Amino acid sequence: MAVAQKEEIVRRTTTIFLALCLIALVAAATGYSFRSTTPQRVSRTAALQDHRGGTLKLLAKAAAGTIDPQVNYTLEYWQLFQDTYDGLLGFQKAGGSLAFNVVPDLSSNLPVPTNGGKTWVFHLRKGIKFSNGQPVTVNDVVASFQRIYKVKGPNAGSFYAGIVGATACNKTPATCTLKGGVVGNAATNTVTINLVKPDSEFKYKLAVPFASIVPANSPPKDVGTKPLPGTGAYYFASYDPNKQLVMKRNPYFKVWSAAAQPDGYPDEITQSYGLTVESQITAIENGQADWTLENPPADRLGEMGTKYPSQVHIEPLTAFWYAPMNVNIPPFNNLKARQAVNYAIDRNAAVKIFGGPRLATPSCQVLPPGFPGYKPYCPYTIKPGTTWSAPDLAKAKALMKASGQIGQPVAVVTSDDEVNKAMGVYLQSVLNELGFKATVKPISGNIFFTYGQNTKNHVQIQVQQWYQDYPAASDFLYILFGCESFHPGSDSSINFPGWCDKPINDQMHKALNTAVLNEAAANVQWAKIDKEVTDQSPMATLFTPKHIDFVSKRVGNFTFSKQFYWLVDQSWVK
Amino acid sequence: MTETVVGGVPPAEPAALATPGAGPWVLARRRLARNRIALVALGVFLLIVLVCLAAPIYAHDIAHTDPFRSNLNGTTVVNGKTVPVMQQTTGGLGLGETPIGPTWDPAHYFLGADSQGRDVAARLLYGGRNSLMIGISAALITCILATVIAIVAGFFGGVTDGVLSRGLDVIWAFPVFLLAICLSTVLLTSGGFALGPVTIQAGSLVLPILIIGIVYIPYVARPIRGEVLSLRRRDFVEAAEGLGASDWRLLWSEILPNVTTTAIVFFPIMIALAMLTEAALSFLSIGVQPPAASWGTIINDGQGLLYTRPVVALAPGIAIVLTVLALNVFGDGVRDALDPRAKHRSRG
Amino acid sequence: MPRFVLFRFASMLFVLFSISVLVFLIFFATPGVDPAARIAGREADQQTLRQVRHDFGLDKPMPVQYVLMMKKLFITRDLTSYVNRGAKVWPQITEAIPVTLSLILGASVIWILFSVAMGLVAAVSRGTPVDAGVMVLGLIGISMPVFWLGEMVNLVSQSRFHDTFLFSWVPPLGYVPFTVSPVGWFKALLLPWITLSILYIGIYARVLRSSLIESQSQDYVRTAHAKGLTGSRVLLRHSLRTSMLAYVSLFGLDFGALVGGAALLTEVVFNLHGIGWLTYESLQNFDLPVIMATVMYAAFFVVAANAVVDLFYAGLDPRVRRA
Repeated sequence: MAVAQKEEIVRRTTTIFLALCLIALVAAATGYSFRSTTPQRVSRTAALQDHRGGTLKLLAKAAAGTIDPQVNYTLEYWQLFQDTYDGLLGFQKAGGSLAFNVVPDLSSNLPVPTNGGKTWVFHLRKGIKFSNGQPVTVNDVVASFQRIYKVKGPNAGSFYAGIVGATACNKTPATCTLKGGVVGNAATNTVTINLVKPDSEFKYKLAVPFASIVPANSPPKDVGTKPLPGTGAYYFASYDPNKQLVMKRNPYFKVWSAAAQPDGYPDEITQSYGLTVESQITAIENGQADWTLENPPADRLGEMGTKYPSQVHIEPLTAFWYAPMNVNIPPFNNLKARQAVNYAIDRNAAVKIFGGPRLATPSCQVLPPGFPGYKPYCPYTIKPGTTWSAPDLAKAKALMKASGQIGQPVAVVTSDDEVNKAMGVYLQSVLNELGFKATVKPISGNIFFTYGQNTKNHVQIQVQQWYQDYPAASDFLYILFGCESFHPGSDSSINFPGWCDKPINDQMHKALNTAVLNEAAANVQWAKIDKEVTDQSPMATLFTPKHIDFVSKRVGNFTFSKQFYWLVDQSWVK
Repeated sequence: MTETVVGGVPPAEPAALATPGAGPWVLARRRLARNRIALVALGVFLLIVLVCLAAPIYAHDIAHTDPFRSNLNGTTVVNGKTVPVMQQTTGGLGLGETPIGPTWDPAHYFLGADSQGRDVAARLLYGGRNSLMIGISAALITCILATVIAIVAGFFGGVTDGVLSRGLDVIWAFPVFLLAICLSTVLLTSGGFALGPVTIQAGSLVLPILIIGIVYIPYVARPIRGEVLSLRRRDFVEAAEGLGASDWRLLWSEILPNVTTTAIVFFPIMIALAMLTEAALSFLSIGVQPPAASWGTIINDGQGLLYTRPVVALAPGIAIVLTVLALNVFGDGVRDALDPRAKHRSRG
Repeated sequence: MPRFVLFRFASMLFVLFSISVLVFLIFFATPGVDPAARIAGREADQQTLRQVRHDFGLDKPMPVQYVLMMKKLFITRDLTSYVNRGAKVWPQITEAIPVTLSLILGASVIWILFSVAMGLVAAVSRGTPVDAGVMVLGLIGISMPVFWLGEMVNLVSQSRFHDTFLFSWVPPLGYVPFTVSPVGWFKALLLPWITLSILYIGIYARVLRSSLIESQSQDYVRTAHAKGLTGSRVLLRHSLRTSMLAYVSLFGLDFGALVGGAALLTEVVFNLHGIGWLTYESLQNFDLPVIMATVMYAAFFVVAANAVVDLFYAGLDPRVRRA
């Protein structure tokens, strides 16, 4: 190369290099972060000063029952409990997958369990007060654990059945002492929890609202509409299930861990009930409210996406929509019939009903993408492999013929809101095409969930959704398809298909045990179980939904946590 | 409703119109025939009925569509171009799928598609069949049963009347929505239940017909009972009694003909009310089950499309308004025709 | 007369009792409504379910449960909801009453004014196109399903034309108590008033018109004409008063039903948390205590209104008293 050209190259390179340096400098100076969902610490204090205050107005169709954090099991209130209550541990209040991290909350340490994984020792932080001024003591912690059984919370017999003394507590809750199970030592300010056997998911169970620490003198029964004092950044000031819920700043709150319980922006948060969903969307568009819990109706999506795009937030969800089929009664006690349904469903049509390909992705298996143990797998499509492309009607019809179930009456049971009903109507159309005589039965959303679980109702096929409780494959596979989740004749039998396969169940137990010591190895096992369950087809998975949040113009700093969805108090309105 | 038509001996008609010996029914028919507005209304109503009865012809031969099969991935032809029935939003974030709107082409989605991609016009016609069927049957049940109950209660009086009137009170004060929701849930969830020799399936039209029919009985029975009570004391009845006529005779020849006119007047009104109630019950997802349609269920479907395709809610609403209007106008005409005292009718 | 009143009162109690029993039976005959699992929460284990059933007295025999519920509802008045645990039912009802009353009082003022005007106009111009036109207008009002009309009103006033001068005054859907802001109360209720009254204007105009026409051929009216009084004078002073009989009795029945919560769909569409709204929500939730309370409340007013109207007629026509 000639000298002139070399010089040219050097000059060019230097210019580019300098330009990059300049950009980096400018970027550093303005604090721009490439991880757009996590606010940086440095600018947070400034942001808290600028944007502090105001009232955040939330909307929901209806209240969600009891305000007792140790009983309520709805996303609607779990989203608010994270701002009002704390447990020994908590999920990190940050955006994205950081939210799956369990961090110490009221405890100053996240213990490594000793004694073969059966003993957990927590050091309680000092100086934390409840919203009524009472200081938090080890006594409150012990009493809160006892209270889980006393109020007969839904998971007292499952999540927390492994604590020493829990069996006695479940039998006679009124006299629950959890002796030997949860031991408080005021002198050392520690709480020791002893388990019957090691539990790899125990840290998650301590981070969910059931394990919130409430004052020891809380009434030993479900408080219903009278909120309990908590340690969070906010407290429940009033609750009228026919009108609204009001949260105000906790006057005794001081930040002890920004990861577990950061300070919030609004001074007040209200959640109002009663508006129809269409009116809620209109209210947000008009600036009369700031957010709705409900899924936007299908006919507003276009308008939202084109006229208010900056106010729409779409996040992938670890959840799935599926159609469990009852494997104990005809016609779906026949494997071929179940597989025929799986091959015939056009998952693209289901996606359209939900709102289009921007909002849902077809899926054939149990675990959702991004979940521990997930390996893409789809046999029920024209070219079986890892992803679904199109239904295979020919194969479906052949399977139907071989099954001998043509002409059988089938009722598709769904919840009676718009989208679920539409899914049901679509499924009915598919079933009719296969040769069944299908009808749709939309049932009120308030009784639908328990209705679908009870075998006495002889539900043959239904449309269900499942959202994770915590990030473990067992939360999908074992909870939904394990033999222990099937209780014939009960309203609480979350194994909808009533499916119990002993060899696969044993594999699930094995994977649960492996996870105690080696999560990665366990996940490999779970992937295999996922494949096997999908092949047995006790359900027809439809798609993985994305979550939409629609906020008003004035809402800033929208942060989405994969565990608890929108971090309500981390957004500002001023 | 306290409009009562009290029968009696009709006054003598002007000679030019009366034929010697023509009974009151013939005269009424003639009066009706002269009432042009009422005839037009009747014509509109019959036209609606005919068009709805022709639903299968429309669906198979004109539109070539199956209005009960979901067609989310289907396509149709508009202005010579093939377009998808469900269209994804372009622009912005590209959220949502919108069914196509009215093409005004009877062969291809005349009124557009609904959220399952089905032809709205075809469903409207099929829906009309169900709505009219429910409306007419329920009205028949109401009018017939109400007349019977009212006559028995009014004529025999005493304990019979007391019991029947209290029964009517219970029906009238009863929360019909609760009954409908629970009955519907019961049916949806069992295979059906047996009412004597008849088994009622979910989705069977018998349920909304029965509920609506029974619920309105007090509405018609009360005025008729009032009429029977006053008729009971009228001269001609007492005269017949004096002549030794038995109870049955009295009921059959004196009371019944006079209250029948009231019942007839109520009939078109009750069809209208029944159709409106059916729409309200469909709003609560009771009665006609998917994928079958009725005007009420199509309105219900349309609520979810109000912001993008309001025609899905408007079309059945307008259909109901037209039908109910026609029935009411015709009902007015019938009442005018049967009321012999309204001499001023034909005056300007 | 006193015997008659006593008898009507006794039969009223009987009707209320029958309705309460029917509601109770229907509720428990419906599958899937067992509150225990819904109260206990998602994934509750069997022991928890058993205990919850025991706590709520759901494992007692039916008649015992019925008596307990009636006692809690009427005597001790501490009946609580199945769905919103701990929430007492009576306060929910008492808080909802003013909302419903505000809605129906305003609507009835509007519909009385318009229906009387329309009825008079139609009767005076009987047989002319004006008469037909007015009646058709009224009929269109009756022919529209009220929830459909309400949604259309919302579509126009809250969404499509909300920013124009026509509707920018329309506040967010919901009730504003009069004690908080009289102007806000009025603005929030104006559109619901109009929507609800459209339904009734047509009916009442027709009733008035036909009563007026019928009374025209009565003897005393002919006498008035013979005396030389002009048409409209006769109409207003003689016919109107007696024609009001049918009108007033119909109004009594409808108003009674509305107080009890018959305007449920209007309240739901406009987010007014009145008795009708409460009834609707409790039905959706299968919340038996609230259902029972709202049903009893509604039934009481319907039956009471019936009784009052019947007494009114009995006072006028002694022959009717025998029933």
